[in-house]
Amino acid sequence: MYDIIDALVNSTLGFGWPSWLISLLGYVLVATLLFAVAPFQMLFFTYYERRAIARMQDRIGPNRVGPEGIFQPVADGVKMFTKEDIVPDAADKWVHLLAPIVVVAPTMFMFAVLPWGPGMVPVDLNTGLLFFFAISSISAVGLMMAGWASNNKFALLGAMRAVAQMVSYEIPAVLSLLAIVMITGTLSVVSLINAQGGLFISTNDVAGIPDLGLGWLIFTPVGLLAFICFFIAALAEGERTPFDIPEADSEIVAGYMTEYSGMKFGLFYLAQYILNFLLCAIASVIFFGGWQGPGVGWLYGMAISPINPDGSWIFNLLAGMLGVFYFLAKTYFFFFVMIWIRGAYPRLRVDQLMDFGWKFLIPLTLVNVFSAAIWVAVTNWGVAEGFGLVEGWSPMLRWGVAFVTTLVLNGAAYVIVARIYNSAQVARNRLDVDELREILALPR
Amino acid sequence: MNTLIQLIFGLLAALIVGSAVMVVSVRNVIHAALWLIACFFGVGALYLLLEAEFIAVAQVLVYVGAISILILFAIMLTRESEGARYMVSGWRLVVTAIVCVALFGAVLVPTIFTHTWNVPPPPVATPGSPAPPEVLAGVEDLGRGFVFSYMLQFQVAGVLLTVALIGAIVIAFEERARRRRVLTLAEEHEVRKRQKPARPPVTGERIPSPQAAPMSDGEQG
Repeated sequence: MYDIIDALVNSTLGFGWPSWLISLLGYVLVATLLFAVAPFQMLFFTYYERRAIARMQDRIGPNRVGPEGIFQPVADGVKMFTKEDIVPDAADKWVHLLAPIVVVAPTMFMFAVLPWGPGMVPVDLNTGLLFFFAISSISAVGLMMAGWASNNKFALLGAMRAVAQMVSYEIPAVLSLLAIVMITGTLSVVSLINAQGGLFISTNDVAGIPDLGLGWLIFTPVGLLAFICFFIAALAEGERTPFDIPEADSEIVAGYMTEYSGMKFGLFYLAQYILNFLLCAIASVIFFGGWQGPGVGWLYGMAISPINPDGSWIFNLLAGMLGVFYFLAKTYFFFFVMIWIRGAYPRLRVDQLMDFGWKFLIPLTLVNVFSAAIWVAVTNWGVAEGFGLVEGWSPMLRWGVAFVTTLVLNGAAYVIVARIYNSAQVARNRLDVDELREILALPR
Repeated sequence: MNTLIQLIFGLLAALIVGSAVMVVSVRNVIHAALWLIACFFGVGALYLLLEAEFIAVAQVLVYVGAISILILFAIMLTRESEGARYMVSGWRLVVTAIVCVALFGAVLVPTIFTHTWNVPPPPVATPGSPAPPEVLAGVEDLGRGFVFSYMLQFQVAGVLLTVALIGAIVIAFEERARRRRVLTLAEEHEVRKRQKPARPPVTGERIPSPQAAPMSDGEQG
């Protein structure tokens, strides 16, 4: 952004503005753009979800406002704005007011490190990936505030559930990312994407692979297991259906949002859909290469970039468009999967949720971290690191050995953990039934 | 640029000190916890101003995202939030203030007297020269520090946390035999239905119709 504005203002128009002003202008422009894009993503997602879930349930969904009901979200937005804002008498006024803000603000922060296309990232932080998840954990504070300040038992129950769930599922999410960070050796989102060029094998591991932008991490056993664990954790973090107990409307009205109305409720809604968008986006960035895809790398090679200052701007445009297309296609596909899961599975109980997170996902992700270490050792290490065994092997052989080893390890871990988890659940259910029998036998 | 950094530092310091004062002066315990979160966040921003990105992010992840949540949880689950009677007053206030100031001074005074001030800032990276190395902020340096120079401390901290975790499990663990199981509505209904024939009808009471049976039971119990 800095380059473009600098070229436009100082070279083309010749104003000679100082560099800090151009930096500031660039950031303000990008921020404005993102603040405009985010609500539109949310509007689109509500429509998308309602239409898709309707199809799955053999209905049509919203189809009255505009062609095919495309303006339905706008109508809903107007409705939100015109509703009365009610604050309960017994509520803590200030905390009640601040809670939706504390929930929405982190989701907007998270856009700061999200790359949309080649060279299209607002800020390339060295610790971008960690920043994303650190910021996302702030919204738990907002949920807690909302639940407590409403002075309503359903709200408090919902907040407790939401926070317990978020805290538990943050661990598998971050652990599965840890495996990825070990493999790629970077915490920056941009270099993470750059490491995913290639054709089913990353150019990071084997240098001679043709770069078709398909060296996604999902094609490695470590990445696959990490993706499965991460996506389940993301469902829990975004409060999507199998894990939507914080706002289970058949049990606790609407959870922490119970006492909110009008646009404050709208803000919670907004935060939730933007969070879902961001989680899908980061899943596609980490495991499916983000904007990587056939053709983007080739086009971007001829565009204006820090490495290649005398490229042509038309390739910037083309590479950007293709990159954003791939990125959004992957993101929307993941959101479709989320809707699909919503249509397919019932809600979990609280104890099942905790069991699943702590006894199934966390052991699997821990094994995955171990596999990632093996992967790094076999593909990258040599005599210098004290692993001289693989020194003489060709990169392809190293990759193959790493692939097979981690595949066997992860597969065995999955089978064993799943079996243990299953038998534990069966034993637990049997104990439950026994207990119930005892209760039935007791005289009252 | 320097004045801008000074200005931002001033604002952040005001936020940190102000919210820290609010933590100890508001009456409501939950409000105090929320101010504490604001204080943590300010400290994170201060790290970011020092270009210690990783420490800033870790501060937000650990303190704002996890520890403050635990504090809030603990307060909400253990005591009522109107904490006026937990306020310290009288001579205890004086003693508390003296102890706090003394501890703070014990940390601050040696720092003030032994620290070398006015360290020249590192040279600003120009596009031509290689970027200056990150001193402490880099993730790799921190990692190397943990596994080479500070291995023992790192391990001890790990063992301590594990012990705390196991201790928490031991405290929270309930034996299955002692736990009262909460019945779901369907199970409760089932229990009542099974017990219905076994119970002799109470004399003088209207015998409920089969449909109304669970309802009237509910009124009795």
